[in-house]
Amino acid sequence: MSGKTEIAIVGLVLIVIILSSGTMYYATTAINNISTLSDQVTSLQSALESKFASLETTLVVGTTDSVELTLDPAQAYDYFGWNIMQQVGDTLVSVSPGSSTGADFVPDLATSWNSSSDLATWDFNLRTGVKMADGVEMNATHVKYSFDRAIALEPSIPEGAPAGLGYDQIINRTDVLGTYKIRFVLNFPFSPFLGIIACRASAIVDPKYAPMAQVNYTAGDARASTPLAFVGPYVLSKWDRVAGRDMEIKIDANPDYWNTPSGYPKTKHIIFKFYSDATALRLAISAGDVDMAFRQISANDILDLQTNPNVKVWYGSGSFIQYFCFQTKLGFPFNDVRARVAIIAALNRSAVTQTVFLGLAKPLYSIIPPGMLGHTEAFETLGDANYTLTKSLLNQLGYNEDHKFEFQLWYESSGHYPQSAEQALLYKQALEGSGVISVTLKNADWASYKLNRDNEIMDAYMYGWYPDYVDPDDYSFLYWGAWLHTNYSNATQVALYDQARATTNVTLRAELYAEIDDMAVQQCSVAPLYVSGAWAVTKPSVFGIYLDITQDMRYWLISK
Amino acid sequence: MGLRSYVITRIILTIPTLLLLLTAVFVMMRVLPGDPVALHFEKKATPETMEQMRHLLGLDKPLWAQYADYIGGIVDIGYLLQHGYPNLGKSMQTTTEDVGGQIFSAFPATLELAIYSMIIASVIGILLGVAASKAYNSVWDHLIRGFGIVTYAIPVFFLGIILQLVFGVYLGWFRTGLRISPTVQPPAHITGLYTIDSLLEGNLMKFVESFKSLLLPSLTLGIILSGVFIRLTRTNMLETFRLEFVTAAKARGLKESTVTFGYALRNAFLPILTMVGLQFALLLGGAILTETTFSWPGLGRYIVDRINFRDYTAIQGAVVMFGLFVTLVSLVVDILYAYLDPRIRL
Repeated sequence: MSGKTEIAIVGLVLIVIILSSGTMYYATTAINNISTLSDQVTSLQSALESKFASLETTLVVGTTDSVELTLDPAQAYDYFGWNIMQQVGDTLVSVSPGSSTGADFVPDLATSWNSSSDLATWDFNLRTGVKMADGVEMNATHVKYSFDRAIALEPSIPEGAPAGLGYDQIINRTDVLGTYKIRFVLNFPFSPFLGIIACRASAIVDPKYAPMAQVNYTAGDARASTPLAFVGPYVLSKWDRVAGRDMEIKIDANPDYWNTPSGYPKTKHIIFKFYSDATALRLAISAGDVDMAFRQISANDILDLQTNPNVKVWYGSGSFIQYFCFQTKLGFPFNDVRARVAIIAALNRSAVTQTVFLGLAKPLYSIIPPGMLGHTEAFETLGDANYTLTKSLLNQLGYNEDHKFEFQLWYESSGHYPQSAEQALLYKQALEGSGVISVTLKNADWASYKLNRDNEIMDAYMYGWYPDYVDPDDYSFLYWGAWLHTNYSNATQVALYDQARATTNVTLRAELYAEIDDMAVQQCSVAPLYVSGAWAVTKPSVFGIYLDITQDMRYWLISK
Repeated sequence: MGLRSYVITRIILTIPTLLLLLTAVFVMMRVLPGDPVALHFEKKATPETMEQMRHLLGLDKPLWAQYADYIGGIVDIGYLLQHGYPNLGKSMQTTTEDVGGQIFSAFPATLELAIYSMIIASVIGILLGVAASKAYNSVWDHLIRGFGIVTYAIPVFFLGIILQLVFGVYLGWFRTGLRISPTVQPPAHITGLYTIDSLLEGNLMKFVESFKSLLLPSLTLGIILSGVFIRLTRTNMLETFRLEFVTAAKARGLKESTVTFGYALRNAFLPILTMVGLQFALLLGGAILTETTFSWPGLGRYIVDRINFRDYTAIQGAVVMFGLFVTLVSLVVDILYAYLDPRIRL
């Protein structure tokens, strides 16, 4: 038996040697040089050669995102799902890359459009020669089919984007006016309609891939493993999920893409790889394992990577915002508007944007981000760390240094929003700096946080918003959004909002949103905190990245 | 009792253990606060839709019926043969994905990491443990014991990041995450273990690429675990060296290595084997921190993801599978134990 034990020990030692880093590294290098291993080396070399050739036209993207559930426009309602859909699908119009307002619409599958003077009827002239995956030319019936399907599926998919955006409420019907002309008849005048048309839920689908009564391309569905082709720059050729999370997505240039003659997509193959967190992603781009890292690398790492000569950091404007919500119902400390205003006046937004986000986010004083129509600085009138106003209002309510105003501030703790704990801590410091406020910080993971919100048990809480379409229409209503459960409503604000929806007069719209902002400052049911910046990190050889207010990453414009 | 009878008895005893586990998991998931159906929806959900979802997930049935479905699904051999994994229900987050499928898609990654980590941990731990015992109370003994304590105490993510920075970022020898190079197609699924499958495929490049991804997480976990084995081996070897049969073996003029490895280590090995088995079973449940640090798509990350989504069926399924792994590995260890030490069968 001793002999066997020795053999076992020797075997284990050999395994360790095999596992040792140096051996493997030099073995890997040596494999390329040893000519005597002719067959193996030949095949290895040819594999490497073809790999290097394909690498020139392949962009490897690392991300911490994952498709939540599906790539079907009738259901998907998450950032990354929409981002992938944008590469494989196309919409009638889109926002011009680099747009600072989100309102620069350019032709896409439609070459021109116009609306009736009452903004309730919109006509689109379609591009000719656009091929579906099966070779059929796209026409107005496909457009009608896409919207009819999205609306038809709404009742069975209440969590889907068309239901969330209220397609059934906005669109009355679609009429085919000709082979290449489609009309949308709306239920009411709606000026932001182009924003809706440009969002991913409005992607034109191929009936072959998207049956009328069924959601397609959902995780777990066997069809999700088959190639997905709508009419976008790319075709989805691989979507691997392991344990309910994306492991690899590959998109290849769509040979039938209508804009191929102009040289798009610039990169023929894109591979998405999924990292567990920001640190892992940062290490991957630093080590050169990926060509590009997009969402989410922390602000700390971004500033550090700026000085790394092996990578390039791209900056842009963002449209993600965070805001304070107050529970205004009776029995809660913020039932009195003076308490709400006192808290907002005591906040110090700059401290958060500078300390937590290291200057990569900006203080926000309107629920509408800067650059967008209707943005104001309305909340600036309350000031930052304006303790005089805070003390004055809380004194009216009977609170002072000896009898402090106490409340619980909740934040989300499972990473759904960036660096929430750090933010909350700084807000607490700023509030308690007034001397008349005592804050108890509470946190919950995302699932519990939503439950707490629905059960209306949180005094004050931080929430965030990614726009569905880049228009003030998709922000302004946050002041009274019912799903936020603040129990605040204001008929005047809603009337102003509806009026803004119904006019194309840009000046008037801006004035109406400004009026809503002014009223929001008086009420402080919801108060803006900051607007994020956007950033991506690439190898120096990567070009063509546009980080604009749409938050879209247009991979077909990127070259390597 | 013969070895065969012992094995049969142990297998029979695992059945009530598993049933108890399944029942406990089922009850615990039902008494937890919160409505998983309500959590599924962000905004708009009518009571009718909520009811539809409840029906889809079988949550509208009485508890006893849910329990029967649950146990019935797990023991459904037809389903197991058809899908290759037990019926653990549908994920509450996606409602379309089988929990069994999700778990078994993550399992090969976890298994591969567990195997290589255990090899590294066992080899480093046992060899250094033996060396420390041989050099008792010397500088080497103190150094090795110090190494064991440090490796046991060092956080996994910290060691992982250090190795990533050194070997991944600065030297560029190995990959900092994932199971294989992003530009290399994974080998065809045979065992699900990339290193094995690439060899079975006869593709050396894929083997090297998958190994370059596997080494750092395995090394991290292996080094961390080796601390336990160092201390355990050293202590047991010291005790064994004091026994008379070792002295007798030395007196008979046997080689030092024969006495150490052939006599002393074999006798000291039983408690080490138990620890190896238990640690291996724990690793099969997913090394959460290591998998997160190295973006390793295994069960550890799966469980964390599912907890964040409050995906009760998935958590339930993962706990059941984890229980199964522990039970099975314990069974194997018991059998090995009985083989190595016949007194246990008495």
